[in-house]
Amino acid sequence: MAKIDEGKRRMLKIGGAGLVGTGLAGCLGGGGGGGGETTTESGGDSTESGDGTTEETTTESEPTNVGMVYATGGLGDNSFNDMAHKGIKQAASEFDVEFKNAEPSSPGDVATLQRKFARSNNPDYDLISCIGFVQTSALKENAKRFSDQKFMVVDSVVERENVASYTFKEHQGSFQVGHLAGLLTSKKDFSAGAGQTNGDLKVGFVGGKEVPLIKKFEAGFKAGVKHANSDVTVSSAYAGAWSDPGKGQSIANSMYNKGADIVYHAAGGTGNGVFKAAQKQGRFAIGVDSDQSKSLTKYSDVILASMVKSVDEAVYRSVERTRNGNFKGGSVQSLGLEKDGVAAVYGKDLGSEIPDSVKSSLDSSREKIIAGDIEVPTKPENV
Amino acid sequence: MSYAEPSRKRRWLAGLAALVVAALAAVELFFPASPVGEIVAIIDANYVRSVLRLTVPIAFAALGGIFAEKSGVINIGLEGLLIISAFTSIAVAGVISGGTPSQFQLWIGFWVAVLASVLFALLFAVICIEFKADQIIAGLAVWLIALGLAPFASKVIWGQVNSPPVATLNNFDLLVVEANPPVVMMLISVPAAWYALNRTSFGRWIEASGENPKALDTVGVDVRKVRYAGVLLSGFFSGLGGAGLALGRVGQFIGGGATMVNGRGWIGITAYLFGNYNPLGAFGASFLFASLDALQIRLQQLGYNIPSELIGIIPYVTVVVVLAFVGHTRIPAAAGDHYESGEE
Repeated sequence: MAKIDEGKRRMLKIGGAGLVGTGLAGCLGGGGGGGGETTTESGGDSTESGDGTTEETTTESEPTNVGMVYATGGLGDNSFNDMAHKGIKQAASEFDVEFKNAEPSSPGDVATLQRKFARSNNPDYDLISCIGFVQTSALKENAKRFSDQKFMVVDSVVERENVASYTFKEHQGSFQVGHLAGLLTSKKDFSAGAGQTNGDLKVGFVGGKEVPLIKKFEAGFKAGVKHANSDVTVSSAYAGAWSDPGKGQSIANSMYNKGADIVYHAAGGTGNGVFKAAQKQGRFAIGVDSDQSKSLTKYSDVILASMVKSVDEAVYRSVERTRNGNFKGGSVQSLGLEKDGVAAVYGKDLGSEIPDSVKSSLDSSREKIIAGDIEVPTKPENV
Repeated sequence: MSYAEPSRKRRWLAGLAALVVAALAAVELFFPASPVGEIVAIIDANYVRSVLRLTVPIAFAALGGIFAEKSGVINIGLEGLLIISAFTSIAVAGVISGGTPSQFQLWIGFWVAVLASVLFALLFAVICIEFKADQIIAGLAVWLIALGLAPFASKVIWGQVNSPPVATLNNFDLLVVEANPPVVMMLISVPAAWYALNRTSFGRWIEASGENPKALDTVGVDVRKVRYAGVLLSGFFSGLGGAGLALGRVGQFIGGGATMVNGRGWIGITAYLFGNYNPLGAFGASFLFASLDALQIRLQQLGYNIPSELIGIIPYVTVVVVLAFVGHTRIPAAAGDHYESGEE
């Protein structure tokens, strides 16, 4: 029997703890975070092309083959990946498009799946859709290696001639829900569903990881709240994780306990704890990415609205353009409030109870942002 | 080993801590507007309640780890056991009720989850005790299997890695306060575990099994059985922790990334090492780590931006420091070794 001396055992333990640290870091990396200051804003006008006139421009009779590489959350995440899936299904139902899904189980698989599609001859893929920030570094490699292959990437920018990048102006959508929160918290006795406001002029923001992408959400939200009523204070905190609802709940609880009545989250699964806390405390919350009052119906009585990113639109549009021979390699499409690239979507149960005056204020701020009369910051320190 | 020294040192530490608390209280009283006053004002009843709830999974994992390791089986798979029980509790409660469980069905889910964790621990015990596998590797396997199995099973049941949300266990009125069931269980379990380890013959067997199994064998106690008991108890306590997190608090299973357990089992290990295998010390360490986390959350809201990643590594740094420099944590002499009874 091997007699392990005590020192070695200690080493094992400390090693174990260390391994955990790196292991967890690796695991958490995939959640959809990360992201730089990306948008270079090219061609908001060029997105007009081919609206409904695809039949004319289609010359080939063969179907367009699309390979879909999803982000690591996989299909069924009720948000990002499912939206992308919705986009490609829409394209397939409207055009002669065939697609294949690939779901990486870890960030390490992404490169392999991209390569697999790029190498394939049967079928020869016309477009490979790379969903999520997690694809960036792998795509940089593969776009260089397979320079004849067309790629598109969502939520990131890869500057190569054969890659079309799609990003979102999350700050603009966040401004809208911030505006909503600021207006409602200023009403002392607004109540709807299971929640009600209090007299305190306080709202909250819960982020997943503290990365530039999520900072854009925070900045937009804060600016929107300030636009509504500059006396309202926003407390914000980051959970440091995408999948820790227990922590999301304790952050939201601490905000509600200190007088906040509406909390907006951009924290993936962590954010589900925010809804739970809202329900327990009889307050409100605002969802993110998809209409969460529909995907988490149990919490629909506290979800005022959701800041929806139309990933489906990005996927759909890129396929449409590839078919039209209009694929814009090297370009960055930045989807904002205009054409509903991002939008504040009212909750399915509470939406009807939000006063019309609030809704019309939101409409007018939306128009001002689109017209450029309101400049929404992308960094919280610039609010 | 001298026992007088550390206890005097500890008395000093306790005195110092009391002084710091008194000083902070004075600041809060006389200078309520200063930054220190602002920070001290964070600590109120809501804060303590929140910390207690954050402590639940960590402290239960730590209690479990103590029983396993003291009996001679190092169980680093506590994180995995938490994941298994968190998942099972939600899955069982959801499936038997068709999505909207009653309180009774939630409790069924809770106890089935504890059972699942015990069974998983049994598997680990068999591998370590009967097949003499390396405990560290087997423990890592428990974690990795749970990390893959729970999201996979989620996909089978719900078609996605996250479960739909369900209700949580109701709080009940205990004397004057509103009590959260897992918190109450924890506050009962900690002294009970201390009593079992220090005042019962079972506790002495556990101790002997980890320190000197030969002696235990000589007096006619089956070391294998004691070690099985230790590991199964680690499964039992981790089960309470995981189900307590999922059903006592969150009401959902999140399977993405590191899952909703998110490293709490590992922090549990550091907590019992920091607490020197004493359930009370382990609880104190768990409470400390949880309160730092809760403090960090509140400091962020005041605009003091301490990265949460930095707070997250405090338990690990602490345990390295405690093991390397303070040195009063002593791992049971025979922990990690297989024991072969002399009689064939």
